[in-house]
Amino acid sequence: MSTDVQIAIVGSAGDGTIAAGDILRRAMAEIGYRVISFDLYPAEIRGFGKCIARLRVTDEQAYSLKQQSDILVSLDDSHAIPHVGEAREWGAVIYETHSVNPLPEGAHLSGHIDPGQVPYNVPIRELAEKSTGSARSRNIVIVGYIIGLMRLPVEPVLRALVGKFKGKGDIAQKNEAALRAGYEEGLRWFRLDDIEFGPPPAQEKGAHVEMISGNAAIVRGALDAGIDNFFGYPITPATSIMERLASEMPRHGARLVQTEDEIAAISATLGAGYAGARAATATSGPGLSLMAEMLGFGVIAEVPSVVFVSQRGGPSTGMPTKHEQSDLNMAVFGGHGDAPRIVIAPTSVEGCYRCAGRAFEMAEAYQTPVIVLLDLYLSNRYETVPFPDRPPFDADTNRYADTRGGAAGFQRYALTVDGVSPRSIPGQAGGMHVATGLEHNELGRPNDQPDMHLAQSRKRHEKLKAALSHPGFEPAKRFGDTGQVEVGLVAWGSSFGECLEAMYLAQEEGIRCAAVKVVMVSPFPVDFVATFLADCKEVLVPEVNYQGQFAGILQMQVPRAVTRMTRIPCAPLRVEEILDEIRRLAGRIVEPQAA
Amino acid sequence: MSTARHHVIIGSGVAGNQAAETLRARDPDSRITMVTVSRLPFFNRYDLPRVFRGERDWRRFVIYPAEYYRRNRIALRRATQVVAVDSINQALTLQHKETIHFDTLLVASGARPYLPEELTEYRPLLLGFGAFHEAVRVADALPKKGHVIMLGGDTIGLDLARTLIELRHRVTLLADNHTFWPHEVSEDDRPRYIEALRNMGFDVVEAKERGCLASISQGAPGLPARRLVFKDGSELHGDLVMPFFGNVPILDFMIGSGVDIERGLLVRPNLRTTNENIYAAGDNCQIWTDSVRHYCFYHGWKNVRAMGELAARNITGADEAWAPIHDESLRLTADGKILSPFWEYQ
Repeated sequence: MSTDVQIAIVGSAGDGTIAAGDILRRAMAEIGYRVISFDLYPAEIRGFGKCIARLRVTDEQAYSLKQQSDILVSLDDSHAIPHVGEAREWGAVIYETHSVNPLPEGAHLSGHIDPGQVPYNVPIRELAEKSTGSARSRNIVIVGYIIGLMRLPVEPVLRALVGKFKGKGDIAQKNEAALRAGYEEGLRWFRLDDIEFGPPPAQEKGAHVEMISGNAAIVRGALDAGIDNFFGYPITPATSIMERLASEMPRHGARLVQTEDEIAAISATLGAGYAGARAATATSGPGLSLMAEMLGFGVIAEVPSVVFVSQRGGPSTGMPTKHEQSDLNMAVFGGHGDAPRIVIAPTSVEGCYRCAGRAFEMAEAYQTPVIVLLDLYLSNRYETVPFPDRPPFDADTNRYADTRGGAAGFQRYALTVDGVSPRSIPGQAGGMHVATGLEHNELGRPNDQPDMHLAQSRKRHEKLKAALSHPGFEPAKRFGDTGQVEVGLVAWGSSFGECLEAMYLAQEEGIRCAAVKVVMVSPFPVDFVATFLADCKEVLVPEVNYQGQFAGILQMQVPRAVTRMTRIPCAPLRVEEILDEIRRLAGRIVEPQAA
Repeated sequence: MSTARHHVIIGSGVAGNQAAETLRARDPDSRITMVTVSRLPFFNRYDLPRVFRGERDWRRFVIYPAEYYRRNRIALRRATQVVAVDSINQALTLQHKETIHFDTLLVASGARPYLPEELTEYRPLLLGFGAFHEAVRVADALPKKGHVIMLGGDTIGLDLARTLIELRHRVTLLADNHTFWPHEVSEDDRPRYIEALRNMGFDVVEAKERGCLASISQGAPGLPARRLVFKDGSELHGDLVMPFFGNVPILDFMIGSGVDIERGLLVRPNLRTTNENIYAAGDNCQIWTDSVRHYCFYHGWKNVRAMGELAARNITGADEAWAPIHDESLRLTADGKILSPFWEYQ
């Protein structure tokens, strides 16, 4: 029996909604399941706004949440009622039996449950108060109830609970009592839903699975790749990269500096990269705007550096806690002049780890800034990731010049066949050269002659092509049906997960369908994508921005008609919406004739 | 603001569902809300013995699919208990303190299994059979070729026993004055009917021959009851002990409502209670019957369904009187077996 169960917990800020989801996902991962999880929460700290914790538990890693949940839990009916429809037919709806205050008709969740859903009315508050003396542990009661109801082992949850509340006085003890009360209650109930948890999958050899967020995976990748220096200025949703690095880097003998702003952060990063260190910074859209000029400097001075960018709703300050993929043009084209750079966009949490590590390799190997483009959905979502026991990254991909005994006039920007020039680092005997933001000749000296400008521009562009075949890195990958297909999807970043899910559903409906994820957006894998597009009768490009930025880049590189599916819902794309587009393109939905 | 009437039905059994269907047909624009403590949509409890034949998917027991309720705009509120009815303000209060206002109310809350007072202390050890989950629990607890000791033996219990015997389980019936409930069997006829049960494969023990029960005990802690000890010192051993003593109306929430109650809700022949906006139908009401000059219960799913329909018709403007349509007499077949008309449910 396979496992594919999605749990959604809906509550108000302060109900412990996100904490309950966190404990559940940790527990499920410890049991051995694969998990993907994403939380929605308001900007306010407490007492306002809706919180939703969603986790999908599977036996093979999924890359998106499902459109419908199998279990929906209400910790606050006023917020949960609009979401009752999210629970699928024969799925479970769990809610509080009692109310503290009298309610008008329609204010209790029980009045909104569909006849096809299965109600579980639980005395959540009463169980919390009896077991802990307070109603604060209602969220933990619910965690226990779900575990008991689904007949899952309680010990991994206890360990997750102790881990989460370690060192917080008697909170762990009280929560354990609440968990056990909920668990016993869950065991008592007769199940009427058709939700099944199969046995967890066997562990992969040579790897260990961990539950980790996208930003944490970036940190892990950076550390495993041997990051030396990090310079940053906090900004949502990238802040946790710096926070985590701040605690991890000292243990690795590495240094982190919080700078006064983003301009200083990118400048210091380039300085460290120039000095031969593996250096990075992290920011979001507004910070990337501030870094634009110095990124251009990094391109022209050919300085290795890594910039992690997590997108949020824009422009300007925009919507700091909302998801969007609208900084792609800024990442690929931002800044003045012809300033090519490598832009890679992971599509999963595991991808975050791999891209972070490879970004340092690429920055050194091709002597250029590398942008790792994330988004809020990817930064904040959790997945179980099988980490290799030994880091797969090359610790040194520099091409240093042997300048021993060299004559004066080291050609730092020599015009080589592949465009990559041997470099030197400050203090290297015989490696002295000028590094400047001015256009220069092979020695680095200012030069504005057209021939040299053309030669250096060509060098800066051409050298990046080698990144498309960088060892251990797949710039793009095809999934689904082989050969000719009715509909082909091309997606990037976190949206790929939803596209993949929609593609599988379309295949189940008999539509010949395939999807390509493009991880390297710059330089663009033209040949691979062109080959794929030639196989597609229709092409769909879903993304979370208004303009269809990726579709624009795609059509710039591979001229052909595509259907842009652009949405800005402040949230991830909806699988059902993508599926509808696939059906429409495949002719499975007959559109009404105009009158 | 909508002027559509709001019809509320308490209970989602045969009477409640028939009433909802009739109300929707006769009052298309109305709101209909059906409130039930059950977590399942309407299923026929006479179908429950199918659980012993291995059918465990409750969706196959449900009479109407979810789509039926959606299509007919019947708000089905399951797992919801009514705790009070305010007939003056035309409102009912649910356990979670939600208030629902109604224009008309039909009380079709049915009945729950009755347990004689002297057995109430053993309730945790006895396995019930009124709900789907209880049926599954019994089926899970009963070993292959198991032995069930049945107390009382009402028609629901006897129906279950027929299936159990057919599936090669052993059934020992401790017969008393609840046996055959709700059929009334005279003392003169009783021996023939008891003999008929034996013909059907029952082991029948007349309770009056053993005297009072001294105790009921379980095999081990956590397990259901499996041993009866009588005051005469004799014992009966089995794998399970199940009580079937008939049903009593579920009307706790009507206490204090201002509506007349005796054993059931007292209703006129048109099924209206003493409140002009409140009607009743099913096992929970006693209908004034002119022929005998008192309030009578009527049983059997056909009668109950007819009551649901009649109540709905009268709620929506008719003024028709109740006439039982079901022959309630217990019969003996040519091969000497018992046949209750209540078992003819398909």
